[in-house]
Amino acid sequence: MLTAEQKKQFSDILEELGKSLDITKEQHDAAVKSYEFVGEWLSAPESNLSPYNPEILPQGSFMLGTMIKPIHDDDELDIDLVCRLEGKRPEWTQYNLKQIVGQRLVNHGTLKRLLKIPDGRRCWTLQYADSAKFHLDILPAIVSSGYRVLLEKSLSASTVDFETLAIRITDKLEINYRMETQPEWWPKSNPFGYGIWFENRAKLLTSELRLMSEAVQPVPKYQTRKLPLQRVVQILKRHRDMMFNGDEDKPISIIITTLAARAYHKETDIIEALLKVVERMSAFIEERYSEKYRKNIKWIGNPVNDTENFADKWPENPQKQENFYKWIKQVKLDLQYAIRQRGLHFIKEALSKPFGENVVAKAFSNYSEKTRLLRENGELKMAASSGMLGSVGTTLKNHNFYGKEEQ
Amino acid sequence: MVKKNNRISLIVQEGTLKKIFPDCTIRRFREESLTWTGSVTPSPLSNTYKLKLTYIRNNGIRVYVIEPKPLALAEGKKTLPHVYSTPDQRLCLYYPNRVEWNVGMLYIRTLIPWACEWLCHYELWLCTGTWRGGGIHNETEAEKQANKLKETNDEATRSKK
Repeated sequence: MLTAEQKKQFSDILEELGKSLDITKEQHDAAVKSYEFVGEWLSAPESNLSPYNPEILPQGSFMLGTMIKPIHDDDELDIDLVCRLEGKRPEWTQYNLKQIVGQRLVNHGTLKRLLKIPDGRRCWTLQYADSAKFHLDILPAIVSSGYRVLLEKSLSASTVDFETLAIRITDKLEINYRMETQPEWWPKSNPFGYGIWFENRAKLLTSELRLMSEAVQPVPKYQTRKLPLQRVVQILKRHRDMMFNGDEDKPISIIITTLAARAYHKETDIIEALLKVVERMSAFIEERYSEKYRKNIKWIGNPVNDTENFADKWPENPQKQENFYKWIKQVKLDLQYAIRQRGLHFIKEALSKPFGENVVAKAFSNYSEKTRLLRENGELKMAASSGMLGSVGTTLKNHNFYGKEEQ
Repeated sequence: MVKKNNRISLIVQEGTLKKIFPDCTIRRFREESLTWTGSVTPSPLSNTYKLKLTYIRNNGIRVYVIEPKPLALAEGKKTLPHVYSTPDQRLCLYYPNRVEWNVGMLYIRTLIPWACEWLCHYELWLCTGTWRGGGIHNETEAEKQANKLKETNDEATRSKK
């Protein structure tokens, strides 16, 4: 068991770990700049789409603030975006909408070169140059004309009818892809509803941090401060990436994010939150009878659409299910081992394998800098009887360590 | 000019050390010498270390890590950072110019917390191989120079008395 002081210190270290997993401000700003440009191009007066006020907004981890760097610096960030249109021409089918968005992208010389052909099942992908290290997945979608106002209202409402925030998307594999013109019959998705749900799970009474009202702005600011749940999700995803590097059957982010958010009970420090979340997470996986498989299957419901099962691939691919349980077991073991260590260097060692040598080293470097700055600012104190440095006891006078450089 | 400082009596040093570290051991010989040994855990998740502080009049003040001995070294390093001597594990805690430290200061307010801070940064040095606790690296003869300065410091206060 950890004492309150030990929890505090562990959380400070994990906060640094989370920060070293964050994408850089440069990467963030470059991605925003790129998709803003796409948004302007789609909404320009001469565009077929301009009557429907197209707007490009982040969704997924970029919106939730749970995005993490890939393991290898060379790997690309995958930025998920919604291209939101307020209505459409009555005769447009899903196919038409997808093609019209695609055609408008092709009309721009640069975007044409970046556009990946053929289109994805639901998205268009813009593959930026190698140096940019990201690609944009753009999901064309239809919303009703009052959507923006509705979303703004939902952000401050105490209860939200998530159903009203659903958007209509296109899907090549839908039977009605080329026929259906009524959006009510198009596939539904609810990234913004999910975002509001996640924020409600994550936010603390004491915190003024607003995730979504910031994130659903067309130009979200780069967040340096994050809520404990956001850090927990980042740390869990990193563990997953390290354990299943490149494995197709790894636990998917939406499952990790959803279960973590359900299991999170507003713990204010990160280690406490992380330990409790991994302990409780799998209890939120339900069993439901499936007509299709004629047996009970695992069910991880979409919190804003209970008919959607995020684990819908598990029955056909039992490896995915097995990997999830293997992963959660390993996270528990790795964390339990790390918190049993005494000596910061042993803790660093214990974290290096599951989370990666480089990011952990960076986290400890930054943690050291912070400790030095605390003392330089006169905020570091030594506790009586243990000599423990922290926020209580005798304030450390400023001084300079002297002596030869170590060899 | 460096201001001359009123030397704090070793009785006061002893009393203030004992108050903060009730479990420590202190040996004092009149106003001539004092030895303090105590166990500290420099951060909540750190190991526990035993420190020794010795003061001998006209012979300066020294702070050592006595347990564990030897202290582990960071990967690829042959010596400890900010020490007068790696085998002795004697710590360099301040720039020896009498401003940062002199006999007019309480050990419990200066050297002891600094030693705890040294230990904390020592563990972080083990983590990363880079000392990030701040400070000044002297080029040569650190020990000689420091000792000389400390002795003069001591003499100066004594002659004032």
